[in-house]
Amino acid sequence: MNARLQINKLFALSSENRKFSFRVPLTNKIRIGKREYTVRLKTDEKYGSYILWKNRRYPVEIVRSRQNKYEILFNDISYVFTVETPFSLKRMKMINTGRGKSRHESVKAPMPGKLIDVLVREGSPILRGEALVILEAMKMQNEILSPVNGTVLKIHARPNTNVMKDDVLVEIKTE
Amino acid sequence: MDLSGKSYKAFLERREALKKQYSPEQAEKQHRKGKLTAHERISLFFDPGTFEEIDTFVTPADHPVEFGKVERTYGDGVIVGYGKVNGRLVFAYAQDFTVMGGSLGVVHARKISKIQEMALKMGSPIVGMMDSGGARIQEGVASLSSYASIFHNIIQSSGIIPQISVIMGPAAGGAVYSPALTDFVFMVNHTSYMFVTGPNVVKEVLNEDVTFDDLGGAGIHARKSGVAHMIYDDEENTILALKKFLSYLPSNNVENPPLVPDDGSAQDVCEKLRDIVPDDPNKAYDVKDIIQLVADRNSFFETAELFAPNLVTGFARLKGRTVGIVANQPKVLAGVLDIDSSVKGARFIRFCDAFNIPIITFEDVPGFLPGADQEHNGIIRHGAKMLFAYSEATVPKITVILRKAYGGAFIVMNSKNLGGDFSFAWPTAEIAVMGPDGAVAILYRKKLAETKNPAELKKELTKKYRDKVANPFIADELGYIDEVIDPAVTRKKVLSALNALGNKWVKVPERKHGNIPL
Repeated sequence: MNARLQINKLFALSSENRKFSFRVPLTNKIRIGKREYTVRLKTDEKYGSYILWKNRRYPVEIVRSRQNKYEILFNDISYVFTVETPFSLKRMKMINTGRGKSRHESVKAPMPGKLIDVLVREGSPILRGEALVILEAMKMQNEILSPVNGTVLKIHARPNTNVMKDDVLVEIKTE
Repeated sequence: MDLSGKSYKAFLERREALKKQYSPEQAEKQHRKGKLTAHERISLFFDPGTFEEIDTFVTPADHPVEFGKVERTYGDGVIVGYGKVNGRLVFAYAQDFTVMGGSLGVVHARKISKIQEMALKMGSPIVGMMDSGGARIQEGVASLSSYASIFHNIIQSSGIIPQISVIMGPAAGGAVYSPALTDFVFMVNHTSYMFVTGPNVVKEVLNEDVTFDDLGGAGIHARKSGVAHMIYDDEENTILALKKFLSYLPSNNVENPPLVPDDGSAQDVCEKLRDIVPDDPNKAYDVKDIIQLVADRNSFFETAELFAPNLVTGFARLKGRTVGIVANQPKVLAGVLDIDSSVKGARFIRFCDAFNIPIITFEDVPGFLPGADQEHNGIIRHGAKMLFAYSEATVPKITVILRKAYGGAFIVMNSKNLGGDFSFAWPTAEIAVMGPDGAVAILYRKKLAETKNPAELKKELTKKYRDKVANPFIADELGYIDEVIDPAVTRKKVLSALNALGNKWVKVPERKHGNIPL
């Protein structure tokens, strides 16, 4: 009964797996090591959003946010991180153990068409969302994107050939 | 009242017994699977201190035959009640996997039916959080019949109150139809499954090896089957998203969606819109960039994002008012209409129509996807669903033609004569029966065969066709669209059209119901 789930601490998990914790509700104090600093997040017409620290402005912008994943631009440097609760962090560890085996992923042609260009080489590392090949179908050049992070294992696609639906274009070894 | 009397003592004892029923060990067991307990889910979902539970102390039904074990627990494995979500009344039930695997017995089902009936009577949304092993075997046919009454309630409430299912554990067998009947289904990655028959049965009957995840995991249902509309990586994010999602919906079919004031940062005249659609009609772009700039800032909430991504659907706000967005996505499969996208679009449009949500359509569609695969699987009857849904909808319907609007697909995508209220076109629009290449090949087949240099002639004719036929101006001059607009003023135009349509009222012909080609 009364199992109140109170979240008073959140974590930002960066893409390099570094972990930063912060308390909720948010305050304008941040701790770095043992010292505490006061920062202010402000928005105005002239400068957009920025963080004010020691009387200097550091521009900040949310480039992309999807569910709990964020990409921000801070002082012109891009950071990618997810926001996790203590429980989701624990859960992530639980789910990741027993996984982590690399798998093969075949990228197939989503519809019949003509291959215009192959943009990757065998052995090259690839990030999720990167374009692999360009397939012309319905008079449109479609970029076929990688669904996973990994390395290109084998390329079946040859430029200027016709492919049918579900033909394997590229095989990727996932990380 | 006599505080030392017998009845008050019994009252307290019962409360004590209930407290003991939920042990930390059980919660830990649930946590080890990466799941939260039903109570934790409820407390995350509702505004603090607003949840009122009912039927807390009911006990399981007696079962006719001695078979297996029935735990005599309070509540019979489900929490039902109501409370406030962002200040608005919402009804909910959450199945408790720690009690007999969340299995559905008669009393369990009666509680769900009760809360469903209350939600309908009060005209408020209902959310079901499912985590159940299915029908309770010990209770036999009684348990099965209880499922039927839950389904019946969902169908009776359909189109009157928004009904949302959140799958947070297994849902197998008959249990899957309860979410399938509701308006939207949320699933949690890695911990939730839905299938009519599980991997063990599949193995036994078909000798086919398939994992839980591959058979009915969140990923499969979001991408392939289209059963799940929204999936998230963990339960907290699922519940947070659900709360946000509810903010777009009215409580019932006679209310309007809540007004959420926008921060005013979206520009009514936005010159960036001129730079998104490429001049080369063979080049793709992301239609979501356009949606983001036309809607209130950060207000776009996409539904069924991973299923049939060649058609984008979702809710957004325009000056704080909820609108439904339907947009062809040139970035995926050239934005064609195929079976999956037609089904996805039709269902979304019907939801919007049922709940007084105006529909804004962004059109850039090269046509229906040709091919034996599509034809044999029934693109004709599936495409007809989209046509039916658009035409049937009586909410305000506004179309912005961004680029291609060819053939049957032009008609389907909310054309003026199909009942669209406003139809705007950007100067880049190409409105015609078919694309230049196809048209030239048909109309000049003989000439092309006779000439010495067909490629040259084709190029010339294509250019001529593009200049003379495939543009928005002919349609504009003939009145088949309302106005050719500068892309920069799209938001302004759509807003004023929405204002004009504020009191739109259509008399629906009297009939039992139409016969949408299902």
